[in-house]
Order: sequence, then C-alpha cells, then structure tokens
Amino acid sequence: MDKTVSDKFPVLGDLSPEIVDLRDLEAPGPMEKVLLACSQLEDGVFFLAQVPRIPTMLFPHLKNRGLCWWVHAETDQSALLLVRKEA
Amino acid sequence: MKTGSLSLDQAPPLSIPVSFFLTVSLGMLMAAGILLSNGLLALTSPWMSQTLALAHAGTLGILAAGMMGALYQMTPVVAGTPVPFTRIAHLVQLLLLVGLAGFIWRLLGGPASAMSAAIISFKLALVAFLLPVGWALLRPATRNETVLGMRLAVLSLLAITLIGLMMAAGYAGGTFPQNRILWVQIHLTLALLGWVGGLIMAVSWQVIPMFYLAPASGKTANRWLLGMLLAGLILPFMALFAGNTIGGGLTASKIAAIGALPAAAVIWLLHPLLLLRGISQRKRKRKDASLLFWKTGLGTALSLLPIACAALALPDPRWQVIFGWLAVWGWAALIMHGMLSRIAPFLVWFHRFSARVGLEPVPSMRTLLPQRRIQIGFVLHTSSVVLGVAAIVFQSDILARITGLLLLGTGISLATMLIHVLRQR
Repeated sequence: MDKTVSDKFPVLGDLSPEIVDLRDLEAPGPMEKVLLACSQLEDGVFFLAQVPRIPTMLFPHLKNRGLCWWVHAETDQSALLLVRKEA
Repeated sequence: MKTGSLSLDQAPPLSIPVSFFLTVSLGMLMAAGILLSNGLLALTSPWMSQTLALAHAGTLGILAAGMMGALYQMTPVVAGTPVPFTRIAHLVQLLLLVGLAGFIWRLLGGPASAMSAAIISFKLALVAFLLPVGWALLRPATRNETVLGMRLAVLSLLAITLIGLMMAAGYAGGTFPQNRILWVQIHLTLALLGWVGGLIMAVSWQVIPMFYLAPASGKTANRWLLGMLLAGLILPFMALFAGNTIGGGLTASKIAAIGALPAAAVIWLLHPLLLLRGISQRKRKRKDASLLFWKTGLGTALSLLPIACAALALPDPRWQVIFGWLAVWGWAALIMHGMLSRIAPFLVWFHRFSARVGLEPVPSMRTLLPQRRIQIGFVLHTSSVVLGVAAIVFQSDILARITGLLLLGTGISLATMLIHVLRQR
C-alpha cells in the first residue's frame, strides 16, 4: 500500500498541505518556485512540493533563509520537499 | 529524510568552472591557429606532428579543460561530497595550459626541452586534479550511476595520461614504446570511450532530464551500459601488456580492437540512441538552441562506429583523420559546446541571482543568454565540422584553412557568449 504524505513526513501529524507539482519545470524553475513560495511563508506554516529530483542545490538557500526542510525520495527519481518557516 | 548537511561552501566558487570553460574557447583558438598556419598538413595523416598538435589542442585544450571544469562543478552536486582544496583547480588549469603550450611547440618544431617541460606540467596537473576529485568521488554521500560513470572516466584519464606521457617521452629526447602503434590505439580507445564517452554519458543522465525535461533513463539500463563500457575498456588495456603476436593469427592490436567493441557500442550506438529517444519524449518541447548541439553531436556519434572500423581496416589514412576529426570536433566538442551554452547561464543565475529570489525581482535564467548567440555558435561549429571533413576527403589546403577560420569564429563566438553571461549581475 502506498504511504501517505503523513507517513513520509511524520512531522506533518494530521496536517495534509496541498502538494505543488513542479516536476514539469526545467532547471532552475523548481528552485525558483520553491524559493518564491517560501519567501511568502508565514511562521509555522508548511510548503509541500513535488520536485523533479532531490534539490541538492536548493538546500544551502533554505538554510541561509532559516527554513527547515525534509525530503522524501520517490521511486520515479522525483522527490517530495517539505519546507517550514520556524516560528 | 532530512538533508541538511550541504552548505554553500561545498559548491565550488563560480570562478572555478567558468575559468575552465573559458579555457575551452582558448583551446579552440589554439586549434584554429594550428589549422590556419599549417593548412592541410594538419589533416593529412594521423602520424604527422601537425595533426598530433591539432588533435591535442582539441583533446587537451578543449575537451579536457571543459571536462575538468564540469567535474569540479558536478562532483559535489552529484556525489554530495565537496572536492577538497578546490582552489588548487586554478593551478591545475595553469599547469594544463603550460603543458599544452610546450607540447604543441615541440610538435610544431620547438626544442625537445619544451616537451620535457610539458611532461612535468602534465604530471603535476594530473596529481593536483586527481587526488582531490578522486577523493570526493571515492567517498560519495550519494551513490548513483552518474558517480560510477564519473569514477570510470577519471580512472580512464589516469590511464591515458600515463600512456600518453610515456609516448611523449619520445619527443623529449627519450624513446617511444616499442609497439607505438598499439600504444596509440589503446591511448585513443581509453581516451575517447572511457574518459570522454564515459563522462558524456554519465553527465547526460543528470543534465538531459534536468535541463530539457526528458525522461530519466532507468537505473538498470544505466548499469548495463556502465558494465559494457567497463568490459570494453579492460580488454584493450590488458592488450597493452600482451606480446605482439598472441597466436592463431591474433595480434594484440586485433584483441584491443575486438575487446573495445562493447564500449564502442555503448558510447557510439546505444547511449546516443537511448538519449535521442529520451529527447524526443520530452514533456515540454520548448525550443532550445543548446539542444541542437546535443542532437547533432549524438547523430555524429552514430557515424563513429562504422568510421572507426573503416579506419582500422582500410589503408587510406584519410579514414583515420576523418575519425579523429569527427570524434573530437563533431561529437565530443559539439556536445560540450551545447552543454556550456546551457550550464554557464545556469551557474551564473545560481551564484548571482538565486539567493535573491522572492526577496527582490531577479531576471529569469533564459534572459541571461539570448538564443541567437547560441544559434550563431552552432552554425559556426557545425559548418567547421562539415568543411573539415571536406578538406580531409578532397585533401584541399584552402578548405583546411577556411575550416581554421570557422574554428576561430567558433572559439570567438563561445568566448563572447561566456563573457556576455558572466557580465550579467
């Protein structure tokens, strides 16, 4: 049975944020969209996106912006990226 | 999984890959200078010193420079491990250029001491490059087929440099290896299939899905390709240590040629076909001039296997020269040119603009480099490939020199394109 988003990210608890699908964007589109969305995040709110692959080059930016993130690698080489702005 | 271990320090500074990429255009200018000053002499026989000079301006000045820059950039991203002492890269670049200058000077009539200096420079460059990059590739945080392919390419680089240096000693007052033809054959096999082909294939698995939204090839298929490539490199390498005649009419040269078939089939048949199929199945078929380089380069790759067979079997030296010309300039350098026109804007955007996204307006990556500039580079590069073939077939001095002019134009076009991108702030 497929895992649910909460199984993949226990930190979500009962929350189920909408998954923003960024898989059809060529680089650096997914990075641009994630950073744009995260710049508008409110404290404690999650942003969840499906990106074409594990976004290694995005992590330093998330770190520099003081954001927390979790990644789940999917079987089709894409990845789910969960970002939260700490309160 | 939480991945919080990467920092900006792990990615190399923009100056490192970019300075290698600029060296690629310098290599093109060097090659153009050799063709312009020597004309047809550089395209007559693979044993002419002018041809050797031209070939190495291509393989060292263009291909090695671009590939080293790519390895410095991609190793931390793909393997997840930073390349230690990454600033040494500038020394590597300097040593490569000094070595290449001495090498070409000697082949074009300079003193033997020029080759001695080149050999020392190449040895130092090899050590300064291989130790940190090899260290990062041997302990990757992420294991995938691209890392395996990069390892195979770097291992091939080690082998071809050692073989090449032993042959170069013949131009530095020493002696050539006893069976020089076999050594050249194996040097070429490992260089084109292992070093160049291995890296093109491994890098394509990352960049084609990433930049063009082509479907990623399967892990199993990639592992088979890597296995066949490895098998096709081991036997030719072993042939180096065999005697001249093995028995039953088999020579070391034949064993090396037959043994290389799996590798040649992977690099010049299976991988291009799979990649072209992947490109045709892109999710969004957006027009992108850099993709023209890939498609044409992969098309050239498909012609290389039959031409290589003709070069091995037929006595006419023009087959060998055509093979070398197409392999270096019409396949590998063309693909590299295309990659640079996509990767350079991406790196500039990443280093200069990505940190500001969402905080202030930033330009999109596509606006950093107009497609028109890439198209001009493509027309110049492909014209020079075609005219070079015509110069070889018809043994025309004037065509050889016009090819040199087109090469010069290609080098200038690439340099101005890179400078244009780098000036965006």
